[in-house]
Amino acid sequence: MIIAVAGGKGGTGKTTLAVSLALLASGEHKVLLGDIDVDNPCTFTLLDISLKTLRTIFAYKPVIEEEKCSFCGTCSFYCPAHALVVIPGKKVIFMETLCEGCSLCEVVCPNGAIREGKETIGYLKFGEKGYLHLIVGELKPGSRRYHEVAGETLAHILSISEKYDYIVVDCPPGTGASVAEALKVSDIVVAVTEPTRLGVHDLIKFKKLVERCGKKLVIVVNKYGISGGCYRELEKVAGNEFFKIPYDRYLVEAYSTGRSVVEMYPESPSAKALRDLWQWLRSL
Amino acid sequence: MIKEIVVASGKGGTGKTFISSNLAYLIHSLGENIIAVDADVEAPDLILALGGEKKRFWTEDYYGSFRPVVDYSKCAKCWKCLNYCRFGAIKKSDRGPLIDYSKCEGFGVCAVVCPSKAISLTRVKTGVIYMAESESGIKVITGDLELGGGSSGRLVYELKQRSRKFLKEGYVVVDSAPGIGCPVISSISGADLLVIAIEPTPQSIKGACRLLEVARSLRVKAVSVVNKYDLNPAIVDKIESMLEVEVVGRIPYSDEVVESYTAMTPLLATKSSIKETVEEVLNKILGEVP
Ligand code: SF4
Ligand code: SF4
Ligand code: SF4
Ligand code: SF4
Repeated sequence: MIIAVAGGKGGTGKTTLAVSLALLASGEHKVLLGDIDVDNPCTFTLLDISLKTLRTIFAYKPVIEEEKCSFCGTCSFYCPAHALVVIPGKKVIFMETLCEGCSLCEVVCPNGAIREGKETIGYLKFGEKGYLHLIVGELKPGSRRYHEVAGETLAHILSISEKYDYIVVDCPPGTGASVAEALKVSDIVVAVTEPTRLGVHDLIKFKKLVERCGKKLVIVVNKYGISGGCYRELEKVAGNEFFKIPYDRYLVEAYSTGRSVVEMYPESPSAKALRDLWQWLRSL
Repeated sequence: MIKEIVVASGKGGTGKTFISSNLAYLIHSLGENIIAVDADVEAPDLILALGGEKKRFWTEDYYGSFRPVVDYSKCAKCWKCLNYCRFGAIKKSDRGPLIDYSKCEGFGVCAVVCPSKAISLTRVKTGVIYMAESESGIKVITGDLELGGGSSGRLVYELKQRSRKFLKEGYVVVDSAPGIGCPVISSISGADLLVIAIEPTPQSIKGACRLLEVARSLRVKAVSVVNKYDLNPAIVDKIESMLEVEVVGRIPYSDEVVESYTAMTPLLATKSSIKETVEEVLNKILGEVP
């Protein structure tokens, strides 16, 4: 069974929840935790394990051979990412950080002055803790290609999925293409939100994405009980059927020291709520 | 002259929108021209933090991608398109190439290389761009990317272009998407100052560190603000030396921040007990703009 942990807004506790579920499940099952939040993957820090690199992820990048170039400007005209600037008669400036690697420039160059090169865009990493295995995708800082790194990571997770009873996927925030792809391959989607106006607002958009993918949605409201929260609006959007993770000092303390609450304070109210959630999910 | 300040975080939920909305509010209350840009196009909420939408100036559809369509009657099955597609979106079939649109990035390489001109490109709407005025009187340009959409970096580029069209003089405050990926790079490139919102947690510090690498490669000046610094004061003093970035201010945890969102009022417009601290930090940020 594949459980995707996502939710529109960032910083609502997705990683805490994904790590907790994976840890609880790994007590009795073979579990794979996949981290496709490639911009800043944090599952391994919360699990306090070190990773080893399985492989480097490469992508296309154009290499310009100036001796063949006539500075015609065709490449710059076609480049969708504004990564090429041609100074007529003088120079082609390639701004690597803007390039999306589509190869259009190579294809349209009338003089064959652009050839294929490759660049590192990220890394695929592995770690383990007892019966829990971890696959992490990590974007190389400065590369734009988060979508491809997340996609490769997800593909790797799926390629080894039959070895595991449960797969928990920690998704990036938002409602973009990488999230959509993870939802499509999941059996259950857990949306983590918080009772703030921004959290509720982003949940509305996220819910639509889940509905479009036709998946079962379980809403988890983290930091439940914080004062001044937007509880009435939350109920309007989430109905009455959502799980609550209470806001307690144990969760905050564990998180702010980079640990998981279910390991550090197993008897705390928040850890209990996480256990209840896991029991319920496994009954599905 | 336009001064562009972008607020980003490397990791979500560290108070990015809190800082950008109140910074925009402060600049506006100082009587300066300002446009706020919401570059978190997958989950845009800046206008909510600024009080919600009062007046819509304009809305335009954003066509961020192309969809290749094959005319099988023209296809010679040479498979050049398949060989050139870098995203594995084309498969062979008896009729000709089959395109998997969930993988297609829509740059149209296949159409350009097809010798029989059997592939045409149609523009695809991937979101909207609009400009509105918030209840607090601030002009906001924002984009809303369609569900599951890609090309968010290019949408952010468009948003920033628009802000420069509508502002001759003053400030542009950009609320970036979380992370360090494509839309974030578009948000940061060309900015005068990057403000990194950090929480005193190892996860947030790691994200900030990755973001700083991006800022350095784009040669954008960066400073940071530590939010909820009292959650883990021990770590705060180390941030400056760990990240080699100046911490221009510290903001304590306060329920009033959540309350200000619920009330849809920027904190600076409330009677909050941390208002003065926040104002001081934001003024320092303004003082850092080159
Ligand atoms: S299209 Fe080719 S020849 Fe023309 S400017 Fe670009 S690299 Fe040079
Ligand atoms: S590969 Fe695509 S995005 Fe990169 S420079 Fe060439 S045309 Fe531009
Ligand atoms: S537009 Fe690009 S990604 Fe899409 S099918 Fe054509 S070559 Fe492949
Ligand atoms: S390149 Fe054109 S002619 Fe060749 S297989 Fe593709 S669509 Fe058909």
